[in-house]
Amino acid sequence: MLLIHCPYCAEARPEVEFAYGGQAHIARPLDPSALSDADWEQYLYIRNNPRGRHHERWRHAHGCGRFFNAVRDTVTDKFEVTYPAGEAAR
Amino acid sequence: MPDAATPDIAPLAVTAADLHLPTQPFSAAGLHLELVPAQARYSLRARDAGLLAATIGRALPDRIGDTLDGVIKLGPDEWLALLPAGATLPLGEGLPVSVVDVSARAVGFTITGPGAAALIATGCPLDVERMAPGRATRTLFETVEIVLWRQSETAFRVDCWRSFAPWLWAALVAGAQG
Amino acid sequence: MSGYRLPTGGRVDRAKSVSFSFDGQSYTGLAGDNLASALVANGVTLFGRSFKYHRPRGILGMGSEEPNALVTVDRGPGRTTPNLRAPSVPLHSGLVASSQNRFPSLKFDLGAVNDKLGAFFPAGFYNKTFMWPRSAWEKLYEPAIRQMAGLGDSPTSRDPDHYASTYAHCEVLVVGAGPAGIEAALAAAQSGDRVILVDEQEEIGGGALADPAQWAWLTDARAQLLALSNVQLLERTTAIAHLHQNFVVAVQRLTDHVAPAQAQGAREKLWRIRAARVVLAQGAIERPLVFDGNDVPGVMLASAGRSLALRFGVAPGHAVAVMATHDSGWHDALALAKAGVHIVAIIDVRDDVSSDLLDAAGAAGIAVHLNHAVIGVGGRHAVKSVTIAAAGSSAARTLSCDCLLMAGGWTPTVHLWSHAKGSLRWDADWAAYLPDSIDDNVIAVGGGAGAWNYGSGVAVSNLPSPKPVHQQKAFVDFQNDVKARDIRLAVQEGFRSIEHIKRYTTNGMATDQGKTSNINGLQIASEVLSKPVTAVGLTTFRPPYTPQTFGALMGHHKDALFQPLRRTVIDDWAVANGAVFENVAQWRRARYFPQGSETMDQAVARECLAVRERVGMFDASTLGKIEVVGPDAAEFLNRMYTNPWKSLEPGRCRYGLLLREDGFIVDDGVSARLAPDRFHLTTTTGGAARVLGMMEDYLQTEWSDLDVWLTSTTEQYAVIAVQGPLARAVIAPLVAGIDLSHEAFPHMAVREGTICGVPTRLFRVSFTGELGFEVNVAAEHGLAVWQAIHEAGQAHGIVPYGTETMHVLRAEKGYIIVGQDTDGTLTPDDAGLGWAVGKKKPDFVGKRSLARPDIVGAGRKQLVGLLTKDPQVVLEEGAQIVADPAQPVPMTMLGHVTSSYHSATLGRSIALAMLVDGRAKLGETIYVPMPGGTIAAEVTGMVFLDPKGSRLDA
Repeated sequence: MLLIHCPYCAEARPEVEFAYGGQAHIARPLDPSALSDADWEQYLYIRNNPRGRHHERWRHAHGCGRFFNAVRDTVTDKFEVTYPAGEAAR
Repeated sequence: MPDAATPDIAPLAVTAADLHLPTQPFSAAGLHLELVPAQARYSLRARDAGLLAATIGRALPDRIGDTLDGVIKLGPDEWLALLPAGATLPLGEGLPVSVVDVSARAVGFTITGPGAAALIATGCPLDVERMAPGRATRTLFETVEIVLWRQSETAFRVDCWRSFAPWLWAALVAGAQG
Repeated sequence: MSGYRLPTGGRVDRAKSVSFSFDGQSYTGLAGDNLASALVANGVTLFGRSFKYHRPRGILGMGSEEPNALVTVDRGPGRTTPNLRAPSVPLHSGLVASSQNRFPSLKFDLGAVNDKLGAFFPAGFYNKTFMWPRSAWEKLYEPAIRQMAGLGDSPTSRDPDHYASTYAHCEVLVVGAGPAGIEAALAAAQSGDRVILVDEQEEIGGGALADPAQWAWLTDARAQLLALSNVQLLERTTAIAHLHQNFVVAVQRLTDHVAPAQAQGAREKLWRIRAARVVLAQGAIERPLVFDGNDVPGVMLASAGRSLALRFGVAPGHAVAVMATHDSGWHDALALAKAGVHIVAIIDVRDDVSSDLLDAAGAAGIAVHLNHAVIGVGGRHAVKSVTIAAAGSSAARTLSCDCLLMAGGWTPTVHLWSHAKGSLRWDADWAAYLPDSIDDNVIAVGGGAGAWNYGSGVAVSNLPSPKPVHQQKAFVDFQNDVKARDIRLAVQEGFRSIEHIKRYTTNGMATDQGKTSNINGLQIASEVLSKPVTAVGLTTFRPPYTPQTFGALMGHHKDALFQPLRRTVIDDWAVANGAVFENVAQWRRARYFPQGSETMDQAVARECLAVRERVGMFDASTLGKIEVVGPDAAEFLNRMYTNPWKSLEPGRCRYGLLLREDGFIVDDGVSARLAPDRFHLTTTTGGAARVLGMMEDYLQTEWSDLDVWLTSTTEQYAVIAVQGPLARAVIAPLVAGIDLSHEAFPHMAVREGTICGVPTRLFRVSFTGELGFEVNVAAEHGLAVWQAIHEAGQAHGIVPYGTETMHVLRAEKGYIIVGQDTDGTLTPDDAGLGWAVGKKKPDFVGKRSLARPDIVGAGRKQLVGLLTKDPQVVLEEGAQIVADPAQPVPMTMLGHVTSSYHSATLGRSIALAMLVDGRAKLGETIYVPMPGGTIAAEVTGMVFLDPKGSRLDA
């Protein structure tokens, strides 16, 4: 079980308190209806699957309840950094 | 519609008694479990803590996990107020705050005694032993979400949603019995 | 055969004899024995039959590496545990154990014919032989193979024991309490940090237990550990997994070492330990040697012989030969000789053994054969002799003995290190992998780190022999019966990766996970491939380190504690009134309320008619509820739901349909606007947490500028649905502060007032198509209000109804249940809910996807109604629909039945179905092929009753 540092609670907490939320920094288009089918497909379905650094969303679902972003290495599973939602990608 | 040929799934070995929350306290070596009497609970939300404090006329703790006069700060914009039964708070209509009465949503227990921290650790993944008195947090006891509040070295308070309370009580009693 | 107990020595208590039984025969051992040492002391050397060839087997090792001596321990009904390693079974008075995988008896086993046919059971035998026909696997091959090749039998009755579990946190966790682990724990404890020391054995000490010179130190060290308040010593505790960031899982055996009658409390306890630092002191496991006959009972590891003699006071044999490629075998032989065991000879493949060892052997009167190897073992059920020959010579000589010890060097135990993703490096001196580097705060110490002086030796894959390898019964994996020639064959057949060789030969895949076989298998593969070991690779170590009971892994989660069963505040009343329940998500809900001897169909028909004709009441408390509060509440809901919300006036309700961004329906529910900035949402019972999570996601990460907050109120309110033409008449006397008239309180409205004197949010809504109300009161008042309504309803013929009746009533009206009539691929239009989509809204979650080409094109499955040609036939939910019942299999499937009931109100069956282009097929006949015959049905609209909805406005 991973330990995840919650940027809001400012402490490392056990993984079971968290929910994974998929790839981070994919903003919902402001005007989806203006998007082509291909662009909408890109937003909806196309995700990175890197070997190594991955930006991802987590929610401290059974803690402070907040979504935040993280950089995690998909090989070692190690978290490099976590930071509040809304901040620029690290 | 299921027909007679559909095999029954073996029912869980749950008796009616298992589904009831005992009203009598439980004591084991160095441990005492007791239900908290009914009380008022409010879920409080706001971006602006000052506005929320002014709206409800109460001071709010600043740091996530801190407690102040029965109010726990659970998240950056979330507090849980545990108040005497019957207490009501202004709803702050029209203001950018959320005040919601959740008095009946949860059931509270107190767990006291020298073995209290170890008992909570049977199902809670936090380092309960190192939790400072006066701190509180939302967390889990096994799969059940709880609000855990360390009230002193040897006294904890646990709140969970009403329908989970019989299970949680039974799990704590099982833990107390080893 | 006479016994092997030595007159003196060992840590057993010679004053305390312990009686036990094995395969029905009674024996006596000593306190401190384990099952293996006690049986050997009694002259029993045959412990079991091997997995595939049913060869007789004795013990190989005396620790958790033991592959052969698997036994079943019977502690009473429901308390049989198969596949325990005899050396890991502590002896207690009354222990009942039996051997496995033999029929009819251990000595005379019919399955042993497999051994004679061994030439026909090469590597990959099962894969090659039992290939066709596929169906024969289930019916013929697998049952037969399982009967013949097997481990112990699983218990068939309920396990009456209970199991405990806990989390634990420490600054330093030490795994393994041999000398290195004990020293590490004592050193770590100096700082005052919390230290946990776990050790799998009956007593701590590891290798020191078989070294009397260290016993005084051990006694002192244990006392020191117990005296330290910051040290938690967990004996009989096996660390089974080392997971991320030093999360180590361990299982503590609490009662199996005492007689069942003395056992108190939990049987085992699962420790979930988070450590800042982990010290792995797991030691090393001695390696068997590979030669013809190396599995005859009486051939064992030298370390096992040492443990038997020095720890348990049991000679491994009356005349013991030692086959060594490593100095440690010489030390063991000398120690055994000193303990009074007759050593026939030391045979060593090396010709340059240190003079110290040669001198010591000479002084002890032990014959020495350098540059020799064992090339054969006499005896089948027990060793009678060994044949040895000089390397390169066929001149053999036979030594009479009843035990042969193998000293093939040592394999550091790196399992947990590897679980934790530590890297390994090949060490030529050890001829083994040693811990190299690791990211987490972990260190390895002692033998497991290669930091232990066992002396030097050479690594050999097979012992030299004049016999060709393919004629030798030279075992590598004793538990899975893998021979050296199987590995050679695998390589010849083209397998190159050790991962493939492992799976093809099953080397290392038994319950011991190759503790004694991995390195030997690797060395053989390396030799045959003419590649260095490091180029052949290493298989992956996976948890658990040793097999564990399911009970230990479940902890408290059994019986009533298996998982929370949630019930509403009205559940007690339902029980008292004879309800039959069903589980919905974690909730249990009353399904129907049978009267007398009514069947479900009869009860549901009665309940349905009562609601249609008079009035019924239903516990809807499990519906998910979310309070949405804040100045931007309406804006937020407008973005989430498909339909417009900003125009909804306070006091009114609206049906909300929630899509995922891909345009598919995820949830629905009726919600009310209580005030300009306050909504009361409802969700499906099973979708409550999902919907709240999804809404929080949008709110926090996409629209964090909105001033609105979400609070779950699911458990704040009990919800009582009162439905039927007389619903108003029933509640009217109980309600205060609300004008219930149709004009003042129309359908899809909400009012706040009191009922039975307590505050209520009263909804005028209907999931039945009848005049209806849903009474929301604080949960603590739910039961009292329910009872009051039930009492008030008596004059009107009120009946309580359950979820089954609710399902029929809503299906008559064509109201869908998300998750039953939808499957995550239905758009609003597919579900016939196009009316619920705000056409003028510029955006909402999922809107853009509704314009995708696949969504707007023809050929989509749509929800429709079905009416069977025979009105009394009720379709099976899930049944497939075809257009042409005469089409040969595989038929073209057009959809499936999602909901199907007998409607008492309509006097016939009704069904809903997903059907390709369903709405274009209205009036057409489709077919549902079933095992009993094909059922014809007509495609209809979804609303079977009161299509104009006039009953709602009563």
